Amino acid sequence: MKLNTKRTLAGLVAATFMSTAAFASDLIITFDDLNPDKAAAYEAAVEAFKEANPDINVTANNGDREAHKGTIRNALQNDAPDVITWYPGNRMGPFVDAGLFLDISDLWASDENLKNNFNAIKPTMTRDGKQWGVPYSYYQWGVYYRKDIYDKLALSEPATWDELLGNCDKLKEAGVTPFTIGTKFLWTAAGVFDYLNLRTNGYEVHNDLTAGKIKYTDDRIRGTFAKWEEMLDRCSFVSTHATMSWQDAIAPFANGDAAMYVMGNFSVGQYKEAGLTDEQIDFFQFPEITPGLPRAEEAPADAFFIPANAKNVENAKKFLSFIATPEIQGEWNKSIGQLPPNAEAEINTDDKFIVEGMATLSTAAGLAQFYDRDAPAAMAKEGMQGFQEFMLDPSKLDGILENLDKVQEEVYAE
Amino acid sequence: MTSPSVSDRFATSKTRALVAAVVIALCLYALQFVTIDGMQSLLDVTRQSAARVPTFFVRITLLLCALAAAFIFITSLSFYKRNKVAVAPWLFLFVGLVLFMIYVIVPIFQSISYSFTRWDGLYDINGVWTGKWVGFHNYKLLFQDPNFYTSLKNNLWWLVLFMLAVPIGLFIALFLNQTVTGIRIYKSLFFFPFVISQVVVGLIFAWAYNPEFGLLSEIWSWFFCETKTNIVGNLTRVCSPEPPSILGDENTATFGIIAAGLWPQIAYCMILYLTGLNNISSDQIEAGRLDGAKGWKMLRHVILPQLKPATFIAIVVTVIGALRSFDMIATMTQGGPFGSSNVLAYYMYDQAVGEGVGRYGYGSAIATVLFLIMLVYISYFLWRMYQDEVEAR
Repeated sequence: MKLNTKRTLAGLVAATFMSTAAFASDLIITFDDLNPDKAAAYEAAVEAFKEANPDINVTANNGDREAHKGTIRNALQNDAPDVITWYPGNRMGPFVDAGLFLDISDLWASDENLKNNFNAIKPTMTRDGKQWGVPYSYYQWGVYYRKDIYDKLALSEPATWDELLGNCDKLKEAGVTPFTIGTKFLWTAAGVFDYLNLRTNGYEVHNDLTAGKIKYTDDRIRGTFAKWEEMLDRCSFVSTHATMSWQDAIAPFANGDAAMYVMGNFSVGQYKEAGLTDEQIDFFQFPEITPGLPRAEEAPADAFFIPANAKNVENAKKFLSFIATPEIQGEWNKSIGQLPPNAEAEINTDDKFIVEGMATLSTAAGLAQFYDRDAPAAMAKEGMQGFQEFMLDPSKLDGILENLDKVQEEVYAE
Repeated sequence: MTSPSVSDRFATSKTRALVAAVVIALCLYALQFVTIDGMQSLLDVTRQSAARVPTFFVRITLLLCALAAAFIFITSLSFYKRNKVAVAPWLFLFVGLVLFMIYVIVPIFQSISYSFTRWDGLYDINGVWTGKWVGFHNYKLLFQDPNFYTSLKNNLWWLVLFMLAVPIGLFIALFLNQTVTGIRIYKSLFFFPFVISQVVVGLIFAWAYNPEFGLLSEIWSWFFCETKTNIVGNLTRVCSPEPPSILGDENTATFGIIAAGLWPQIAYCMILYLTGLNNISSDQIEAGRLDGAKGWKMLRHVILPQLKPATFIAIVVTVIGALRSFDMIATMTQGGPFGSSNVLAYYMYDQAVGEGVGRYGYGSAIATVLFLIMLVYISYFLWRMYQDEVEAR
């Protein structure tokens, strides 16, 4: 009797709750960029996927990028979507280690396109010898400069460290601050550090440092900071950088008070919004410091992952294969002004920054993600605070490095 | 009297208890069927966003139903009727106590226990906690961490300097405590900053401090700057010396934020004193005047003693305000430059939750230390309250 009641009740409740039948085949995607161009490119790709797979009922969500960094933890552990965006490199580490991302090595092995056209970026998507995601976009870093100011002073793009310092001297003579930067949110300083380190010591040292294998008090890292001190001295940065965001720092650049900016390609749109034209701005790769060192570049990628809790894994894999195709990668990145990780994809040849970026990255000896993506977040936070402190007062270097060693010891201890 | 009706019959305690008991059972029974999957297919819209919200609402509604029924059930017991006076307060306190347990007491012990572990805040796919017990390791680290001492020092600065709000608030209150036409407008203007959200106050001050375009640098440029034409023909400002970068300098950032925080806090203290001044007995002032007291003496010996309750509250809210400085710091500097304007609360957030740093164990250790510090103050406060009660008896 009791059992019967229970069954009836359960049946009743279930009938109420299940009255709308589940769809045969679902796919829920969570994206994290509300900027109009980024969101439009994502939606276009989803539309194309729907057209190619009319039997799949796709739900495409989108949210704020900063908020996503917090909500993803909840999403992965509770109601996981089938596909979610996140960053490769060390940033995916905690989720991979906790088993919250699905291992998709089989997809990388079986999909011809993924297997053949993503060689440059594959190591970034790999952890513990397995692949965990598929990148949809990346972009180059380098030095953006005011070509009109360079022309006025008869300067040319520097290829070596000495040439850069020489340019700085002349800019300062003319009353122009050589570099602008806004370090309020810290990561911009990491871009400068990364380039100085990549050019002074190379890709291996960058990886070993961010992997915790080299101490910050190591002579090679000290060498990087020596170059930085030289740069602070001769190529000074705008003096109020600690109160400015990277967007604020564009103001002196646009006004012609500062001539160069170590930045990522996503900033080009903002320069143009600030009133600069293609004729006024240009791009060069960060100059060589140690002669003969293979040239590595920063190229942070954005990627899609499948949460381990995903309910529609087959559809999710289908989607990842789909966004990896050269056509989609080309379209997507043309509309957001970035570079497709797929080597076969077309790029927008009308955009000189994209063309130069492609040339820069396709010939690079190694691609770094970025200091705060290659190093664990706890280390990166402390490291970037150290960089900012150093930029404000280089004489504190010893104390900063010793503190970073301590943090490193703690963060990498397992 | 009217004839017995359904509601009267319901009022008889046996029926009431029975109905209530059935409702409790039904609510609790239905609760276990409220799952995410069930809800998702029930409300198809939920797949668009977070599926957890409606589930949560249904669960809460069912729980509240059960709770209300339990309330009716208990009040209809004969035990309750016999001990009404003793039981009733607990019955009313019950809901509050449960919520207080869930949201305050339990988390305190949880975070103390986390402080002995190394944990990145994640559960694995099976819901298994991924942390590791490390004993006092986090505390050992904490006491070697220069950032911790910076935060502690800043916390002290906040406590000390924030106290300025009390005398300044008193001064403004005395100043405004007069009958002039339109005084209400002036009073509300002075009170205005307290109405604005802390985040907005933070933003306004951050802009005012901005060395490029802020109010301060504008004033600075009247004295020390000249406008020149730069290399590309745009106007630019050249200053010597450069305008101060208050939030960009490790030595001034904290003080810049405290000044911003003081603005609304002074308004708050002022309003407390204004109400206090309203209640001052005019007889005593009269008597004081007859005895020849005026000015400072009148304030010190006649007015201030009567403002004692207001002063006590003003100090309490100011201490709380100083310890809650989190939102100002988050909007103005994010603890920067390089952590020099951190306070313990912000540093804890930064290490545990902020930007995915994910050192939950370490963050909890900071939280525990902050808790112990606050405990000293809270104990004093409770002791004071208790003393007052005893005296009043």
